[in-house]
Amino acid sequence: MMKAPPLNKLVPAHVLEFEPYIPSKPEDELMRLYGCSRLFRLNNNENPLGPPASAQAVIKRFPPPRASIYPSGDAYHLRRKLALHLGLHPDQFLVGNGANEVIGFVIKAFCQEGDNIITADKTFAVYEWVAKFSGCEARLIPLKDFAFDDEAILEAIDDRTKIVFLCNPNNPTGTYWSERRLRRFLDRINGRQIVVVDEAYFEFVEQADYPDGISMISQYPNLVIFRTFSKMYALAGLRIGYLTGTREVVDIIRRTCVVYSVNTLAQEAALVAMDDPEHIQNTRDMVRRGKALVTRELRRMGLDFVNGEGPFLMIQLPMSDTLAYRKLMAQGVMVRTMTGFRFPNYIRLTIARMEAMKVFVESLAKALPEERAWEGL
Amino acid sequence: MDERMRREGSLSVNTDRVFLHVATSFVENTAIGLGLDKPQALSLTLATEEIFEYLCEIASPEKAVHIRCRSGGYYVQVEFVFFVESFDLHAFNLTAGGSIDVETNPDEMRLLIASRAVDRFELNEDKDQGLCLLLVKEKAYPALTDEPVPPARPLKEFSVRDAGPEELKIFSQLTDFYYQRQITPTFLQYPGKLVDMVKGGHYQTALAVDTEGHVGGGIVWHWRNARIVEGFGPYVFNQPTQTAMAGRLVEACLGAIARTPAMGLLVQYPTHDLPKAYFEPLGHIQVYRENESKVVLNAYFRQMHEDAGAAVWSHPDLQRFLQKAYDELALPREIRLMKHQGEFRSRHSVLATRFDLAHNRVDLRPIRPGMDLHENVVKHLKLLAQEGVRNIFFVMDLAVSWQAHFTPSLLQNGLEPKMVLPYAGKGDEVVFQLKGPS
Repeated sequence: MMKAPPLNKLVPAHVLEFEPYIPSKPEDELMRLYGCSRLFRLNNNENPLGPPASAQAVIKRFPPPRASIYPSGDAYHLRRKLALHLGLHPDQFLVGNGANEVIGFVIKAFCQEGDNIITADKTFAVYEWVAKFSGCEARLIPLKDFAFDDEAILEAIDDRTKIVFLCNPNNPTGTYWSERRLRRFLDRINGRQIVVVDEAYFEFVEQADYPDGISMISQYPNLVIFRTFSKMYALAGLRIGYLTGTREVVDIIRRTCVVYSVNTLAQEAALVAMDDPEHIQNTRDMVRRGKALVTRELRRMGLDFVNGEGPFLMIQLPMSDTLAYRKLMAQGVMVRTMTGFRFPNYIRLTIARMEAMKVFVESLAKALPEERAWEGL
Repeated sequence: MDERMRREGSLSVNTDRVFLHVATSFVENTAIGLGLDKPQALSLTLATEEIFEYLCEIASPEKAVHIRCRSGGYYVQVEFVFFVESFDLHAFNLTAGGSIDVETNPDEMRLLIASRAVDRFELNEDKDQGLCLLLVKEKAYPALTDEPVPPARPLKEFSVRDAGPEELKIFSQLTDFYYQRQITPTFLQYPGKLVDMVKGGHYQTALAVDTEGHVGGGIVWHWRNARIVEGFGPYVFNQPTQTAMAGRLVEACLGAIARTPAMGLLVQYPTHDLPKAYFEPLGHIQVYRENESKVVLNAYFRQMHEDAGAAVWSHPDLQRFLQKAYDELALPREIRLMKHQGEFRSRHSVLATRFDLAHNRVDLRPIRPGMDLHENVVKHLKLLAQEGVRNIFFVMDLAVSWQAHFTPSLLQNGLEPKMVLPYAGKGDEVVFQLKGPS
């Protein structure tokens, strides 16, 4: 047998230090290990209503032999449809294998070793991970009142800052910048850096002052917007998301992107998913009802929570969130622990149908310690 | 690590006594060059001499040994990397030299002498790179003096942040002043050592400091292995009862390791300030002092990720203990029973021994199974008792099936299972402690 490769010499230092992402075990395996006969997935902000009916129909009638044909390499039809839908040119879109993939495209396009990106310390982790993986510094600015801190971000910018990543509304706090605040921030950046606004939960927000980032691209050519079909449109299993910006900026990003990474079924389901306003309304109604029930019960239990925009809320527990996860899993309820988001002792709950919310509330009550250990919180 | 600390030298020679002086001179001079004082450098040189002589005995003269000497900031380490066809690890038992009789088994005595001359002595096996014997000798640092410590003042406002060298020294002094030494790691009694440990990247700290630089508390942590971070503290000095300082310090530590491969944060020397809501109790051990009084130490754990479940190996005699422990911790574990059913075992078992002289403590760990495992356990316990060690532990890795074979011997010899440390080894570990006098 040949010698194993000298990995310490072959692998760049920043990759050796990088944490491999270990996804959850499959549902059946987790249910076996935790000894539960059912499982409510309230951990990934998936939409329990499933994809819009039109997208489900596309998936149902997909002819199996077409699996042997390569997909459109640049999501040709979907980009045209997005352009029509959002009033932009098709070349202003780049479709990726989930929004996670387009994060990598942007960082590769603008950053090299020694550069830095700026984001928050307690937000979606992938900006930070991909930057570090690419050998760049990730400057993490503490949230202020659970929201991105514009002043501190501006102070942290230097000559090597290439991209600022904002998550609006923020995952997991649900806080958002109003249009006024975002414009003021972009004015002060004055086009010097690329500003990415991740709008993964755009379709869930009904607040009048919440900005539509895409409508601002013509005034701020350094603006790049991310959106996804995973959340509202419930196509998470097919992996499809996109970014949009000016043609010039997107042309640069396109140079780093992997073509053919988005499969045919995802492209075709996404193409029809956005034509279903009823689906959006049904989902919003479900979230509203679910939040009303859960927040009422949390108040009754004396638990604090952070209830912002989006199909989730964050709950502060008088115990370790990872212990709470195990106790809830044993009752067939899967939530997201927040230690990895740097919110120790918080869990994030995905809002779902009433049955799931009721089971969650009952299970949480059982999981809480009898004597509340509030000290130090 | 600070680049100025990352210095090393290496030497390749044949395992031939002709090169003995070359090897010892290299290690002595390099160790001094890397910052060891003469007495420590000579200890390392003595260990090198014994190891080199040993290798000359077991390997033919045309074989090469690579000796690498490097600085770790607060210590110097020497690695011997070599290939030999057969290598009897039996010599690595603490008891291998039997009754300290150099005449009866001089080669094995060499390893024993080498191990006693240094602070750490390890053998690592790599099928491609060969065997690596690691010797570590720490620098000598002045201990804290009896000079009075200015009392810590209650801080109205504070931030939690990394500390500079002088702040770390103050932190070290205050920790020693406000906390009993039984619940603090020994290195906190050596301020200069703490500074070098942090500067070298081996340990991390977060201190609670006000705008004028007054230190109100702190927490220390380090990577115990690739998956577990061990925390010390939090230490809170003379602060108001209702202060949120302890929680802020724990959160700083958790934030620093939140997006790393750490599976858990383990606290084995908790202070009364530890905010329990962030942790899960694992159990307790009793630490005996020299005057026979005892201190109960509770161990706490904080899992960093969502638990994906695992299988563990257990001897039937340990099953009840494990089932109870896992039920209490709500940890999903599939307990797989195993028994010895006549399959081949090598003649000699091997136990590694780690001394913590300051706390009069020894941790035994199995390295290899063998037919003599029962006698080997008995011999180790006898020798440690002769040496006056009062706190004897045995740590078993539940991911390594053969380690479970030691269970009956441990139970028969008065070692009782005290707690499960999740993810502390390749899998979870069980800590056994030798029962003390009733």
